[in-house]
Amino acid sequence: MEINTREKTDIIIFDIEGEIRRSDITDITLHQLVKDQLDSGKRNILLNFQNVDFIDSFGVGEILASYISTHNLGGKLKLAKISKKLFLVFQVTMLTKVLEIFDEEEIALDSFIKDQ
Amino acid sequence: MAKNPLNRILSRFVEIKPGEEFIASLLFLYFFLIMFPYGIIKPVRDAKYLLELGSIKLPFAYLSTAIIMGFVIHFYSKLQVKVKRRVLIISSLIFFAVTCSVSRQFFVRGDLQWMPLAFWIWANIFIVVLVTQFWILVNDVFNPREVKRLIGFFGSGGLLGGILGGLLTASLARDMPDELLLIASGILILSIFVVNYIFTWQRKNKPITDKPNYLNKERAKEPAKAGFMDCFNTVRKNYYLKLLAVVVTLTFIVTTFIDYQSKTVIEMKVDRPDEMTYIFGFFHAGLYVVPFLISIFMTSNLIKSYGIRIILLLFPLMLLLCFGGIAFWPVLGFALAIKASDKSLSFSINQYIRELLYIPVSPELKYKAKIFIDMFLNRFAKGIGALILLIFIFLPPAKWEYRVQIVSIIAVVFIIAWVFANLKVSKEYTNTVKQKLEMKWDRGDKVVAEKMDVDYTKLVFDTIDSRERSSVLYAMHLFDLIKQDKLTPEVRKLISYKADERKVSSLGGLFESGETTLVPETDDMLSEEVLGKEVKEIMSLDVYQEVMKGYIDKVLVDETGDTETSKMEVAKAIGLMESDSPLAQKLEELLEDESPEVSKYAIESAARLKRREHVPGLIYKLPNPLTREDACTALEKYGERIVGTLSDYLGDSDEDVGLRKEVASVLARIPVQDSADFLTWELAEDNEDMDPELIDALDRIRSGKRAIQVQEEIIKTKIFKEIKKYYQVLIKFYDPKSKAKKVKISEQLSKNLAASMMNIFKLLGLIYSHEDIFRAYQNIRTATKDSVDYAVELLDNILPKEIRDVVFPLIEDLPPEERVKRCRIILKTFPKM
Repeated sequence: MEINTREKTDIIIFDIEGEIRRSDITDITLHQLVKDQLDSGKRNILLNFQNVDFIDSFGVGEILASYISTHNLGGKLKLAKISKKLFLVFQVTMLTKVLEIFDEEEIALDSFIKDQ
Repeated sequence: MAKNPLNRILSRFVEIKPGEEFIASLLFLYFFLIMFPYGIIKPVRDAKYLLELGSIKLPFAYLSTAIIMGFVIHFYSKLQVKVKRRVLIISSLIFFAVTCSVSRQFFVRGDLQWMPLAFWIWANIFIVVLVTQFWILVNDVFNPREVKRLIGFFGSGGLLGGILGGLLTASLARDMPDELLLIASGILILSIFVVNYIFTWQRKNKPITDKPNYLNKERAKEPAKAGFMDCFNTVRKNYYLKLLAVVVTLTFIVTTFIDYQSKTVIEMKVDRPDEMTYIFGFFHAGLYVVPFLISIFMTSNLIKSYGIRIILLLFPLMLLLCFGGIAFWPVLGFALAIKASDKSLSFSINQYIRELLYIPVSPELKYKAKIFIDMFLNRFAKGIGALILLIFIFLPPAKWEYRVQIVSIIAVVFIIAWVFANLKVSKEYTNTVKQKLEMKWDRGDKVVAEKMDVDYTKLVFDTIDSRERSSVLYAMHLFDLIKQDKLTPEVRKLISYKADERKVSSLGGLFESGETTLVPETDDMLSEEVLGKEVKEIMSLDVYQEVMKGYIDKVLVDETGDTETSKMEVAKAIGLMESDSPLAQKLEELLEDESPEVSKYAIESAARLKRREHVPGLIYKLPNPLTREDACTALEKYGERIVGTLSDYLGDSDEDVGLRKEVASVLARIPVQDSADFLTWELAEDNEDMDPELIDALDRIRSGKRAIQVQEEIIKTKIFKEIKKYYQVLIKFYDPKSKAKKVKISEQLSKNLAASMMNIFKLLGLIYSHEDIFRAYQNIRTATKDSVDYAVELLDNILPKEIRDVVFPLIEDLPPEERVKRCRIILKTFPKM
């Protein structure tokens, strides 16, 4: 898995590529990256899932832990461009009740501004 | 902003911020210029009435005023909707100036018997309308927190005006009695210029609508209602406003008795007209001196130190003492003491507290409520008092001492009711302030726990994942889903598995026979009960245990290629066995496996079996980010019985700090009293590395289980330490000596401050109302002016003084230099910790 970071209007975007699996993590986890951004004062985090094929239960844990850390500081963590297959799994497992998921990045970015 | 000379002078008496001094002085002057004429009008009113009609007919004056006031309010409230406030106030001032002069003419004629009563009514309308207009304007210019800080200053302007007006009356009453009302009229004209200037300043500096406050064409969806009934209904429909109305009613019924008593006494002693006016002039002036001194030097500090609740009780309890005394000893001294207390407190603290009680009321309701309560109800209450006093009209004439005693006994009854009403209103005040503050967010862990089942979600993902990896794992996951009754049709569709797809597992290979497998097709599932029974039976067979033991030993010692999947299967299978199965011992080795995938299944199985010997292994999985979350969840499932073990690791200074921090977060997930106690004791050790995690853990416990108590003394000490740290960082942040690396330093310090602030509020939430503290914190964080003001007001009412004194410099809206200055002062007085 590879994670690249960029920023748009005070929103941190993590572009995730590959699969978020326990066995694929070598150095730093997604949650750790999110926490680093939160420590630097950022509060709006967007996870770009366009190039994510699959996640395992560890990936679910990472996303939820990132959500919790962000939420506890009054921030927002959202997802964008998730595949239809993955979205279906998220729906069946009620992840969509917790996580806001958007089809397009721009719509997701707009939603952060509306929240403010 | 630098302080100018005016600010420096005013700062000696009142907490005034740079930039406020000019407008605050104008408002001081405005109040002075309307109370000065009243200092003249009131003695004239009282003297004329008592001389012409007598104190026995005072109830008629109160009653008439109450009735007329109803019409005035109706008319005024309609005007307030249609006319701009500036025009309304200035027109009112002109009206009263003109009618004051006209009254003088009528008095000079001397032949109008109705004039004393008419003037009495006019004087009451005068004071009610002009004072209410003043306080409404104050609320327009300043926000509620600013009003609270400056109220003593504004009020003292009015009191000073009353003193000087009374003194002037006393000095001119004998020589120029007929010119007094002309002088009053002239001073009212002066106030028009001041009011005009205030509105001009406001337009330039704090531009808000000058329109009638609740008529905003952009916002209004329906025509604004106006009129007496609308104001009445506004109060009627709001519980808090109804309570305010009750308090004001009881207050003014009692003050009517006071007024009646003191006038009765003076009437008995004085009978010459010029002497009467002279006496009343000095009497009123003298009685305003103490409230003036209280107002300017003490009011704000008293409110700050003791809060609204205690101060609300001060006035009625003092009167209770006096009235109680006079009931038993009806001497002149007590009568005058009552009047003195009334004047001292009703025109200072009590008046201001009543204004402050409007703080949590929204502007749209406030103006209507003030019209009804402050303009109509207070006079109406006097009317009720008058009705009670009318009994003296129908009783045989009695000595004044007996009249005074009877009134005192009746007053005591009303005062007791007043005390209860005050207690109720002060409680409701806090609730009303709270309603202004939205809870912006709840703890993330709480949100997740309430909205979804995380274990189930992970199980579905594991099931899907295991399809490609191992049919045995897949089957065991399916079995898990069935056991938990969570194999819904939607999940079935997601994870549907075809029997002829490639099977990978070696464990599957062990049991395979031809084309059949141990794992049935999903379409061919047996009922949950039957399947569960069958699997349990199989697993409990000695033969099965023997076979599995052999297989597990083989897998664990196998050092060839790919045993990861086998180990995962074994780890999962052990978790499905009974807790007392001898094979459970094998789990320890699997827990220590290098593969995070194997560890994950071993951790899950340990959580199912809940055997004590696995706890240390699970704890040592906490520092690894790949196994942390699974280990946390597993330990959480052990529950309360491992809290002691966890606390041993928490308190062991030889253990890695990272591990100890994770143990704290595990304890947070086991929200029992013991967890809270262990975390608190560890917090008392003052390990800076551990503090944030310990505080967060305690916060998590407290937010989920309010019934759990923490040790207040330890937390209080921690609060002071954390605040002291914050002060020191803040001072360093603004230290001009560190200019060289200021930018870099300031970024890091800014983050430290934000983190420290959060810790402070988390600590406060442990010993005070968690919800209230967090409501306040979140609204301070969002930093809109209104939200910060209400948040600070809420904290003002729920925190004790010793905590308020050290927290408020951090959150109040202050210029940075002022904040640092206060921090330096408070740091010097911090207790040694």
